[in-house]
Amino acid sequence: MGHRAGVTSTDSDRGDNELSWPTSIHAARRFIMRAVPDSSPIDLAGDEAQPRARADEPPVLNAPNVIEGRKLKAIRVAPSRGAKLESQFAGFLDGVQDVRIVNHSHGIPIVWATVSAAIRVRHNRKLTAWEKRAPAVSRRYYLPLRYLDDINPALRDDPRVVDTAETDASGKFPSRHPAALLDCAIQKVQRDREDLEQTLAEAWCIEESEPLYVDGSIAASAITAESPITIGVVKSHRTLYADGDAFRVVVGLESGERSSVFRVSSQRRHAVASWYVRLRGASGRDALFGLVRVEAAESVDLTARADEISRWIIAEGAPLALPDGRWDKMTYGIRDTEEFLRAIS
Amino acid sequence: MSNAPLGRVVATERRPNTPHEFHFWTALDSPVGIGTIVRVDGSNPVNGQIPIVYGIVIEGFSYTDLQSPMHDVMGHDGSPENAGFAVTERAEIRLYSAAVLRQLPDEPLQPVPMGEVHLAEEEDVAVALRMDGYLKEGARTGIPIGVYHAGATDSTIYLDADFLLGPEAAHLNISGMSGLATKTSAIEWLLASVFAHFPEDKGSIAAVCFNVKGPDLCFLDQPGRLEDRDVELYEKMGVPAKPFERIQYFAPYTAKGFQLNTLRSNEALLDNVTPLTWGLREVLRYAEVLLNRDDIDAKADALIDFINERVLDRVFEKDGILSRDHAVQSFADLEDWFKDLLRGLEARNNESWRTHHIATIRKVRNRLSNISTRCAGLVTDTGAVSDLPFGSFEDRMVYVVDVATLEEDAQDLIFARIVSKLREHLERRDLGVKNLIVFVDELNKYASSDGPDTYVRKMLLDIAERGRYLGLVLFSAQQFRSQVHRRVVGNSGTSLFGRMDADELATPGYSVLSAATRTKLATLEKGQLMVRHPHFTQPIFVRFPRPAVMQGRDGAEQYPQSVETGLDVSIYRALRPLDNSITLPWVQKLVALYDENDLLRARDATIRARPGNVKGYFESQFRKIVPTETAIAAATASREETHAVRTLPIDDPYGF
Repeated sequence: MGHRAGVTSTDSDRGDNELSWPTSIHAARRFIMRAVPDSSPIDLAGDEAQPRARADEPPVLNAPNVIEGRKLKAIRVAPSRGAKLESQFAGFLDGVQDVRIVNHSHGIPIVWATVSAAIRVRHNRKLTAWEKRAPAVSRRYYLPLRYLDDINPALRDDPRVVDTAETDASGKFPSRHPAALLDCAIQKVQRDREDLEQTLAEAWCIEESEPLYVDGSIAASAITAESPITIGVVKSHRTLYADGDAFRVVVGLESGERSSVFRVSSQRRHAVASWYVRLRGASGRDALFGLVRVEAAESVDLTARADEISRWIIAEGAPLALPDGRWDKMTYGIRDTEEFLRAIS
Repeated sequence: MSNAPLGRVVATERRPNTPHEFHFWTALDSPVGIGTIVRVDGSNPVNGQIPIVYGIVIEGFSYTDLQSPMHDVMGHDGSPENAGFAVTERAEIRLYSAAVLRQLPDEPLQPVPMGEVHLAEEEDVAVALRMDGYLKEGARTGIPIGVYHAGATDSTIYLDADFLLGPEAAHLNISGMSGLATKTSAIEWLLASVFAHFPEDKGSIAAVCFNVKGPDLCFLDQPGRLEDRDVELYEKMGVPAKPFERIQYFAPYTAKGFQLNTLRSNEALLDNVTPLTWGLREVLRYAEVLLNRDDIDAKADALIDFINERVLDRVFEKDGILSRDHAVQSFADLEDWFKDLLRGLEARNNESWRTHHIATIRKVRNRLSNISTRCAGLVTDTGAVSDLPFGSFEDRMVYVVDVATLEEDAQDLIFARIVSKLREHLERRDLGVKNLIVFVDELNKYASSDGPDTYVRKMLLDIAERGRYLGLVLFSAQQFRSQVHRRVVGNSGTSLFGRMDADELATPGYSVLSAATRTKLATLEKGQLMVRHPHFTQPIFVRFPRPAVMQGRDGAEQYPQSVETGLDVSIYRALRPLDNSITLPWVQKLVALYDENDLLRARDATIRARPGNVKGYFESQFRKIVPTETAIAAATASREETHAVRTLPIDDPYGF
């Protein structure tokens, strides 16, 4: 990779043409057949070669630690429809990943993935790439080296090869089961993508002074979790902070309403203020339609801040992010960033 | 060459580039539009040379990432008003299709490569349109037709004289809606450009223009109104911004014969207006123009041929039928000949004369005698001739023949005879100039695709197909190109198009143009043209300055047409431009003495001769009589009916 102007490669190419780092699925398949001679290629037209979804966590219901008032309640921040709101978001950060099995070696899946992240900034209502940091793209093999015998030593030592068969926290190696190895690979890919996103988000905190809309959580980095200009918007609700009475409040939020603010913290993540916002009416839809969870740094003027940010996010509801399937929760700025990343990666 | 690209070539499997067409996108604010010429710089060398491709934009597209209009409705709650408050505008593309004008190197001819797209600059335009081949120093044959404008580029577009005026190709045809001051203005401008830039080594050139409607071409020697932008264009293209200085007008008289039948009859402009009058000799050869197919059967045709070869301009001796010798030189002489012949046949109860049946003779007499009535003012009974200066045409001179107010027969006769004479002289190389442009408007009428096969249409076809070998070049104009005979427009090497009617653009002849180009043609402003020329592989849009001559409507207001007056005033007006010492009383004195026909004959002779002593020459045309003051007074008093007190027949030496 790295031939595209204006794109920062997170890895470096080799000078050797014979083994120059691949930039496409086809090239990746050819490349690995040289590096792992006993591997067999996957039919790229088949289902097995299709992109792999992100790994899903199990659904969890947590009790919210409310820090605005005593208990979670619904707060109207904007009219249910027809609101003419303004948004102060100056940039949108998102990352994408493309995970493919390109070869098998004696039943072991050889995974090739492209991860990328970018910030799109808004000038005069139009979105363009952030000039201060180029979009980041990384293309890597995710290989269970432990289970691959006949592998080119140069590839084994290449920093662009990620070992997916390392021991976990308990010191156990992953199973040889192909599905388990694929799950490991996907988790590694996700981590790489989050790293790219985090790097860009931290750069924004240093370089800019206007709010950044981050697709996903901001709690992974202390810098972003504490910055007043990074706002995380989480679309997936595998973990729902709505146990007990709060559940009815959260699923009962109407368009233009937010929940009270609660604190989200964990051992692996930094504490942030969080609340739910209903972007679109869910009448006739499922309970989570149009529902997002917002993350922002805690501040003294929590209520006013949450109201303001909620209105910004609601304002970002137009234009619609259709035809993306997550259009009810996704803003157009994030869709634009995803389309941009698909174009360059 | 500009450094900053304005676009990038793109190609997809669904919409690939070819050697003849490519696609590119630009920023939303780029100065690209339909007709813009662009340059593509390839990035990979072919045979050691980086390919450069020139193209012209023929289609444009704009769209967003919106997949369904419904999504936009939903996104703004069904309220267009809310749409203006969206914090972000959708990603939008300006995508253009361009037709290839030229590829460098020419071979191998490959699909257009991906590369940067630049706005073509002046040098690029010259290369793209292959003008570099005829703008070389020492072999320059470029004739400016207008200026191509895009972004900051103002580039003069040249036609190749070899392909506009021959011998390689020739003829020019212009189409456009009426009333938008495009067709006539473009021809006036182009004539000025041709006169200014026609290469010296290609010899002399002149133009004959037929003014077929209104006052369009009646004031070409008068200055028109120009704006600063027009003057700049004239300067850029090296054409003097001034009216035609060398011009001569020709027009027949009205039926009464007192005044010229032209909208340029204002006394102030008569100095370069010459009467156009023909006699029997000039007309008989073109009788076919005036007689329809029913008139000219084989028998009638044989008799007309006989008259042409055996009777006209020679002494026809009396025979058993004719009572006396006849010298037929005019319609009046011919009528005498017919009368004598028919009288002789009736007296002897003969039914034929020299194989010609009496019915045929009567029919031909009727039809030919009719000509001087149908074309009164142009055709004279007396045989007086005032004609174009065939044989002494001058370089860079415009000859305008005003037939706008004439009957159709007379128009056809004038056109047929003048073009035939021009052709004859050019064949003999004795016209006076080596190259001649003939401008004919309203080709829908004269060379209609579905009309009768008239003599005039045959002549136009002949010019279109063979004129270039003689140096006879047809500049033609019409509103509907689709209704003109396709061999006429098909033989026009160069075609110009002003604003076109949408119905006309829907005809098959325009199907080679893209939808966007057709739309642009339907909305062209005044002063804009689309040009097709043999060197240009695609039509080019140009802007030309308004002509530096007075427009017909302005001229008609500033120089109103003279009202038909009495004989004395009309003679005064005709002679005054030759000698400004001539006064109306002096003319009235002569009018009181002589017959109307003699006065008109004397007027015509004086105008033809243009003598140094106009008064003396005019008076010498009459027999001398010494009128008494009483007689003059009485004659003047009774002149209301314009009859002389006393007529002195010219063939009566004694006058008694």
